[in-house]
Amino acid sequence: MAWSGWFVLLVALGILPIVLFDDPTWLLLWLILVTVVGIVDLLLAGSPRRLTLERRLPDRVRLGETVSSELLVTNAGRRRVRGIVRDGWQPSAGARPTRARINVPVGERRAITTALTPFRRGERRAAEVTVRSFGPLGLLARQASIAVPGAIRVLPAFNSRKHLPSRLARLRELDGRTSVMIRGQGTEFDSLREYVRGDDVRSIDWRATARRNDLVVRTWRPERDRRVVILIDSGRTSAARIANEPRIDTAFEASLLLAALATRAGDRVDVVIYDRRVRARVQGAVGADLLSRMVNAMAPVEPELIEVDWSRVPSLVRSVTSRHALVVLLTSVDSAGGSRGLLGMLPQLTRKHTVVVSSVTDPSVLEASRERGDRDAVYRAASAERAILDTARVSAAIRQLGADVVTGTPGDLPPALADRYIALKAAGRL
Amino acid sequence: MIAEPVTPTIRAATRRSLFWVIAIAFAVIVALITLIARGAASGGTPFSATNPAPAGSKAIAEVLKQQGVSVTVPSTFRAAESGLRAAAPSTLFLVDPDGHLTEARLRSLARLATHIVVLSPTFTQLKVLAPQVAAAGVVKKASLSSGCDLRAATNARTVTGTGTGYRLIVPGTDATACFGSGKSVFSLIDVRFGGRSVTVLGTTDALSNEHVSERGNAALALTLLGDSDRLVWYLPTIDDSVSGARSIAQLTPGWVGSVAALLILVAIAAAFWRGRRLGPLVVENLPVVVRASETMEGRARLYQRGGARLHALDSLRIGTIARLGSICGLPRLATVDEVIAAVVAITGRDAAAIRGLLVDAVPGTDRELVRLSDALLDLEQTAARDIRPTQSQPT
Repeated sequence: MAWSGWFVLLVALGILPIVLFDDPTWLLLWLILVTVVGIVDLLLAGSPRRLTLERRLPDRVRLGETVSSELLVTNAGRRRVRGIVRDGWQPSAGARPTRARINVPVGERRAITTALTPFRRGERRAAEVTVRSFGPLGLLARQASIAVPGAIRVLPAFNSRKHLPSRLARLRELDGRTSVMIRGQGTEFDSLREYVRGDDVRSIDWRATARRNDLVVRTWRPERDRRVVILIDSGRTSAARIANEPRIDTAFEASLLLAALATRAGDRVDVVIYDRRVRARVQGAVGADLLSRMVNAMAPVEPELIEVDWSRVPSLVRSVTSRHALVVLLTSVDSAGGSRGLLGMLPQLTRKHTVVVSSVTDPSVLEASRERGDRDAVYRAASAERAILDTARVSAAIRQLGADVVTGTPGDLPPALADRYIALKAAGRL
Repeated sequence: MIAEPVTPTIRAATRRSLFWVIAIAFAVIVALITLIARGAASGGTPFSATNPAPAGSKAIAEVLKQQGVSVTVPSTFRAAESGLRAAAPSTLFLVDPDGHLTEARLRSLARLATHIVVLSPTFTQLKVLAPQVAAAGVVKKASLSSGCDLRAATNARTVTGTGTGYRLIVPGTDATACFGSGKSVFSLIDVRFGGRSVTVLGTTDALSNEHVSERGNAALALTLLGDSDRLVWYLPTIDDSVSGARSIAQLTPGWVGSVAALLILVAIAAAFWRGRRLGPLVVENLPVVVRASETMEGRARLYQRGGARLHALDSLRIGTIARLGSICGLPRLATVDEVIAAVVAITGRDAAAIRGLLVDAVPGTDRELVRLSDALLDLEQTAARDIRPTQSQPT
């Protein structure tokens, strides 16, 4: 049960008869009158329990975009239902408006449209719909919460897709250049075609020329069907926010751009999100299916406040592929102590695979190292220099173990990783 | 999707809360019964002739009634006056520790009664009834012996002493003082003037139901109060304090009480109107916000608190030397001496000064640390500028 401001006003109006007739019994009479009117109003209100509620909702939305969710309210009761409906979305689902007025005659159906603009990645849920149904006088209301579960999956924003066209152009360039028959590492035999003037004479295939009685050259193309294994660290360090974005979100951005690029280049991409156990895994997907499966797998993953178990990573990679692969580790290289597990494991990986370790750097550290205004700032600069030195030392150690290091600010890391991939592909190191 | 109500129906809610309602009702009833049962045994008005509690004095009043004394217990001043007027030789027992009676009313009572027994009188009461007597503080003796020839005192011999003491301040008064506790302080002073007498009594404990049976308390009380056939046992209440002035209830219109009650109900209704929640709260797990730069800030504050100036400066120097090396085009593994030589060659500054800045100087104070850090930054900028001849020597 609930009541409106009108009911409170009605109770307050009892002052008039009490003062006018100057008789305390009017207090009792008025209260009886108000109670009777209220009970009649409550009895005439339509039952919220007799409503049939149905939710129509897209099952996924990209972070930062807006979708509309529809709630269909069917009145299966015997009286008209008028009142307020609240759809109980989680706050970060960004539902607007949260309350709606309805007026559903018997046997009819109305739709309530709510715009959802989620501001956090993951599964956003709606638990209950609460209906407050007022009587014909609008004084008292019957209220009930009805469980209508609903969920929408909020996918990573993939803002770095703006870098994709330029990187694809570079990839095509790579394709075009190698088809001019420059034979080298990272290329494989493509086809035979007739010689045209300007072709490299070294790529003339004399055996075919002898068969065809015409000059024939071999063409080459970048190697295809290589394996790329992306391993995203979802451990404790990935929860830290850099430039108001958790490290893991930057890692997702970078891995999405890399996967989009690699799958267009004809390579096979597998993704594993791991801390002490596998949080998500995408294997064997190609083309557009890959990206949609990736964002779907990434959406509900949140960083866990535990240390990553690096010792199991080599066997994890082995379970994904037994062939030589490009293994991209999206983690953080901050301090020698924190990276000990990573450094101990790396030789096992670099023996068989090409390994790239990618880490987000904090632009505020670089800024702090330049600022020397007063005493506080100087100490902060010293600490920042120490942090930069630590990162540099860990990076050097990783390079010594035969792996490659890519670092960048949250905005720069995804394109930097994509560029490194293109460079490795051009060098034939996949 | 299946929609099912999660709010319990009225019937279900009643069934669920039935146990608690019954339990609370039971507890309230038990508490009430205990309160009523114990309320009879404690509290009540002290020295009231109708109060059977330990603090009351019903015992004395009842014994007096059995002895044939007519005891009247007036509840108002008018009733007390008319009770005194009814029969000429009458005793007034007056207990008014809160001083509800005005001087005029006390005077009119004093005119009407032949004998007044006033228990622990206030200053005003003493001034009007027995101006020769003054209060002399608290008496805490367990037992007092009579020490005078007043009939009530000789009957009693000893009484419980706890109460107030008094002394005579006008010598030569026709008065008897009994139950002395030293330093001419007495717990009972009987003053006579004209045909009347006023007994100022300080032994409060002696009259209560609790202690009346001890020592000679009962004898004292019964002799004092039963000396005439009529006893008016008067305990003034707050209603007797106002004479002539109209009370607040008389001044305000009759509907004020009802309106106030209604306004309280309106406030409760408004609270429920605003406080009623539209459905349960929706829970959500929020992520912890951990800024990555927090470790850097923490380390900076540690340096600062520990005064690790040299350590802080060394961190800055390592960064500067690495950057100078790359400015000068040296390999990453170049030694400090090579970097210093290259910087000297570029900037043309004194080698010893640069060496001091980059390696030797030890900052003694924070001010020196800031100065050295500024010098390091300046050296970097100078080196970067000097290595580009077109910029350093514009044509």
